Formats: sequence, C-alpha cells, structure tokens
Amino acid sequence: MADEIMKEEPRKTYYVFSPFLRIFHWIMAISITVLFITGILITTPWVTYSSEPTTSWMALDWIRNIHFLFAYIFTASFILRIYGFIINRGDRLFPHFWKGYFYRNTIDVAMHYSFLKFEHKPFLRNPLARGAYATMYVLIAIEILTGFGIYYMTDTSSLGGMLFGWFVPLIGSEYWAHLIHHYVAWGIILSALGHIYMVIRAEFMEGEGEVSSMFAGTKMLRHKPFDAGHLDGTLD
Amino acid sequence: MERESLWDHYMKKGMSRRSFVKGCIALTSLMGLSTDMVIKVVEAAEKTPLPVVVWIHGHECTGCDESFIRSGSPLASDLVLNEIALEYDHLLSAACGEPFEAHLDKTIQQYKGKYILAVEGATCTKDNGVYCMSGGHTFSHLLQKASAGAAAVVAYGSCAAYGGIQAAKPNPTGSSGISQFIGNAPLVKVPGCPPIPEVMTGVIMHIALFGSIPPLDNDGRPKQFYGNRIHDTCYRRPFFDAGMFAETFDDKGAKAGWCLYKLGCRGPETYNSCGNLRWFQGMSYPIQSGAPCIGCSNANFWDEDPLLTRMPEYGPLGNVDKIGAAAAGAMAVGVAAHAVVSVAQKNMKEAKELAEKKGE
Ligand code: SF4
Repeated sequence: MADEIMKEEPRKTYYVFSPFLRIFHWIMAISITVLFITGILITTPWVTYSSEPTTSWMALDWIRNIHFLFAYIFTASFILRIYGFIINRGDRLFPHFWKGYFYRNTIDVAMHYSFLKFEHKPFLRNPLARGAYATMYVLIAIEILTGFGIYYMTDTSSLGGMLFGWFVPLIGSEYWAHLIHHYVAWGIILSALGHIYMVIRAEFMEGEGEVSSMFAGTKMLRHKPFDAGHLDGTLD
Repeated sequence: MERESLWDHYMKKGMSRRSFVKGCIALTSLMGLSTDMVIKVVEAAEKTPLPVVVWIHGHECTGCDESFIRSGSPLASDLVLNEIALEYDHLLSAACGEPFEAHLDKTIQQYKGKYILAVEGATCTKDNGVYCMSGGHTFSHLLQKASAGAAAVVAYGSCAAYGGIQAAKPNPTGSSGISQFIGNAPLVKVPGCPPIPEVMTGVIMHIALFGSIPPLDNDGRPKQFYGNRIHDTCYRRPFFDAGMFAETFDDKGAKAGWCLYKLGCRGPETYNSCGNLRWFQGMSYPIQSGAPCIGCSNANFWDEDPLLTRMPEYGPLGNVDKIGAAAAGAMAVGVAAHAVVSVAQKNMKEAKELAEKKGE
C-alpha cells in the first residue's frame, strides 16, 4: 500500500527567497530568541548574593549589553531584508488585502486549518501566513521604536535620539514604553511558536517546502501554486 | 521706571564686587553651565534688568512652593527678595483681595512681553473649568490672560507639566497640564512632585539672566536638569549592574543598601537630577533613604501603579510574564492536539483517495 502512495510525482521548482532574505531570517530567529531571554532577565533579574559589585562578571550589566548588541544586529540586518525586497519578487509576498481573492483564500485556508476541509489550495505562501507575517513586522517595528526610543532618551540630540526620540513622548511616558516593549515581546514570541509549528506542519504534512525553502531558497512543488504569478508578476 | 540689574542691586546694598562674582559663580554651576560660562553670567548679571515674575497656582497641593522655599543656593529668600521681582504670587504675597488682583492686571500691562509667568498646578478643563477658581474667574481664564503677555512660561511641578495627581483616573475635574492654555508663549516644563528646589530656582535664573529659555529636550524639559535618568546617576547602580537586589524591605539586600529595582524602583524610567543634585543641599534623595523611586517627574506616574513592582499585576493571573508563560503552555497543548488531528485527517484523506483509486 505504501508504494502505491509514494509514486513518482513530477515537481516543479520555484525560486522564492533571495539569499539576503534567508540570511536575514536566520539572524532574526537568533536575535529574537536572545532578545526575548535577555529581556525577561532584565525585567526580572536573578539576585546574586555572593559577589562583589566590582568583581562580578556575568550580571545584569552584561545581560543588558547583550540585549543592546542583538538589538543593533537585528535592526542592522534589515538592510539585507530591504535589499532582497528590492531585487527579488519572492521577497515581496504581501498580504494582498486590497484583492478579493485574498479574503476568499484566507477563508479557504482557515477552513482547512480548522479541519472543515481536507485541503486548501496550494500556495507559495498562503494568505493567512502572509497576514501573520505582516503583523509580525508591525510588532517588530513597535519593538524597534520603543526599544531605541528608550535607549536614546538620554541623548536626545544624537542621531539615534533624533530618529527615535519622538516616540516615547508620543506614548506619553517612558514607563508605558517599557510595558509596551515587554508586552509586544510576548506577542512576538507566542507568534513565533505558532510559526514554528505551522511551517513544520506545512513541510512534513503538506509537502509545501516551508522549512527547506528558508535554507535553499527554492520550493519544489507538485501543484502549481495559486500565487505563483507573484513571482513573475503575472498575478497582481 | 528702569529696572535695576543684579549688579546695581548689589551696589545699592553696598556689597562688594567679590561677593557679586562669587554669587555669579554659584549661579553658573547651579544653572548647569560649565565654568567657562562664568564670564557670560557676570556680564548678564551686570546689565540685564532683574526679571519680573508672576507666579500663579492652579489645581495642586502647593508642595512645589514648599520645595522652592527650601532652595539652598541661591537661597529662596535671596531669590525672592533680591534676584527677581516677584510681583504676584498666590502663596507668598501678603496682599489679598481686589487690590491684589488689580496689581496683577497692572503688572501684566506694565511689563507686557517681559515678565516670566511661573505656573504651579494643573488646569481643570471639565465644565468650563469651574472646579478651579482664582480671583472670581476660572484658573484657565487667568492662565490665558497671564500667558498672553509673558516672555516665557515655566510650568513648575508635574501638575502644571502633565496634570498631576488630580488627573489620576478617573480624573473627575478633567485636569491636565497647562500647555493648551498658554497660546504661543515659550514653555519650560519643570516636572517633579515637587521639583528639586535648586532646579526650580536654576531655571528661573537662566531665563532671567540670558533672556531666553534653557535648551530643552523633546518633551520641553531643560536638558541640564532632565537629561539623565535617575538610574544612570544613582549611587546604587553598581549593585544593579552586579545583580544585587533588595527583594523585600527588610531583607539582607535592603539592609546592605542594594539596588531597589525589584521593589519597583522607577529610576530607570525617570529623568531628574535627584541622583546628582540630591535634595536639600545634597542631603539625601528617596533611593538614598531606602525607598524606591516612584518616578514623580514622569508624565502619568500617578496611574502607573502598583509602585512597588516592576509591572502591573492582573489579580490572580499575575503579571504579563505569568500570563505569557501560561499562554505558551496552552499553546503547546493546542499545537500538539492540532498536530494529532492533522495527522488523522491526512490519513483519512489518503484512505479516501486510495479507495477512490481502487474504485476506478
Ligand atoms: S535603586 Fe533604582 S535608580 Fe538606583 S540603580 Fe537601582 S533601579 Fe536604578
């Protein structure tokens, strides 16, 4: 019975993600993990009872520095993301919320995920995922604005202060900026957990190459995905 | 009437040049300027006429005055009697009633465009501002009248700057900071509940001597006093960096004077000079006395409770970290369940496809 299912299937290769996006993605994965752990430790640090301030080495000071370092690395890595965005259509899989098909397909996918349908149409990136990733970028933008806003408030006339200094007064108080930063961090990490499950599921149950494409850049698919036209511009 | 300068004033009193220069040096450091500015301060003090100040009070507790009169350098008494011409002050004036109000109108007329308006206390905006009256009019009316001809407006205290305690939820009187009522007059916010005495006098002397408002940050606070976080100037900071914290008010860490971060200290979010100037001629400040900073110079600090924890607690649910961890746990269970059903669904589908194939 097994070999009846595992028959030879013709697959077509789609080049989706530029190397810039892929490198960015993995920098992001590492950064978010480090930023989340150090962030939680900064809010609720452990207490050292046995050290002298002058001799301790791995304490809150360092945890903060690691947090700041990865904040810079992560933000800088957006250069890769933006470059990929410019040169490669596959890096531009927006949620097309101005199109009717976006909503129809979202319902289609949502019904499959809630087990109301056996399968959904094949996609390079399904509309639900597109919406989720766009939301993720919004959350990240909030983290960057609040984070650097707080960080640069001691030097408001520096370049960083001019870029980010307007945001904290907009929120109303720095304490609120801290809280928003912290709450949104939870939002990001919970979304990331969901994301990991969904891509693994898509890779191994639906054969959609979600995980492998983030390494190789290409997807080898059985069916022609509905949104394949987004790669060559034939679907707008 | 020509108004005299500080130097004129010293001469009239028969004081020496030496004590004048000494006074100027004290002023320079007080205003947060570097020592090479001394010469400018001396020049200004020789020529600039002493400023006229009108000081009005809205919704507040008068704690800012309590702070102000404890200013050590310059002595508040010195400032009031010698260095500024305090023409009208709700609290410190001996006069009252109609002559007093008439004097305000006269002062505003006579020194139009030249006087400094110091405002203490919030305005009230609800019901046309009837909850805060002054001289038979609403305080917001007084504020509009007095700010129209002011060279600069100084908002003393968190109330005038942001609304203060009376603006705390549910804010029944609609209290808010004064900025919406002062038109185009340049505004300096000097928040704090109350502000540090020397900061209050320093700001007014800066405007008085240089005829311009001090450099401000993007929230309108003078940079020289609000440019640093308390956390970045706190003498307990080495304990923070080393991870040495008091966790209750009577534990080993509290007794040893360790960092109060885990007791909700708002130093990391608060901009003020408590850490470097301290209070009452450098005697102490809250953290030095073992109490975590409550961030009294921050907009909205009054609603950022509980003040003794870092983050809000949501009843039995705890803070966001507990809720988040629980959500992650719930998600793990949900994901596992979803995965199981997905596999089952896939098997069903394949079985069905196979059956269809066989049927062909
Ligand atoms: S006591 Fe407060 S201001 Fe001082 S180091 Fe600790 S957290 Fe910072």
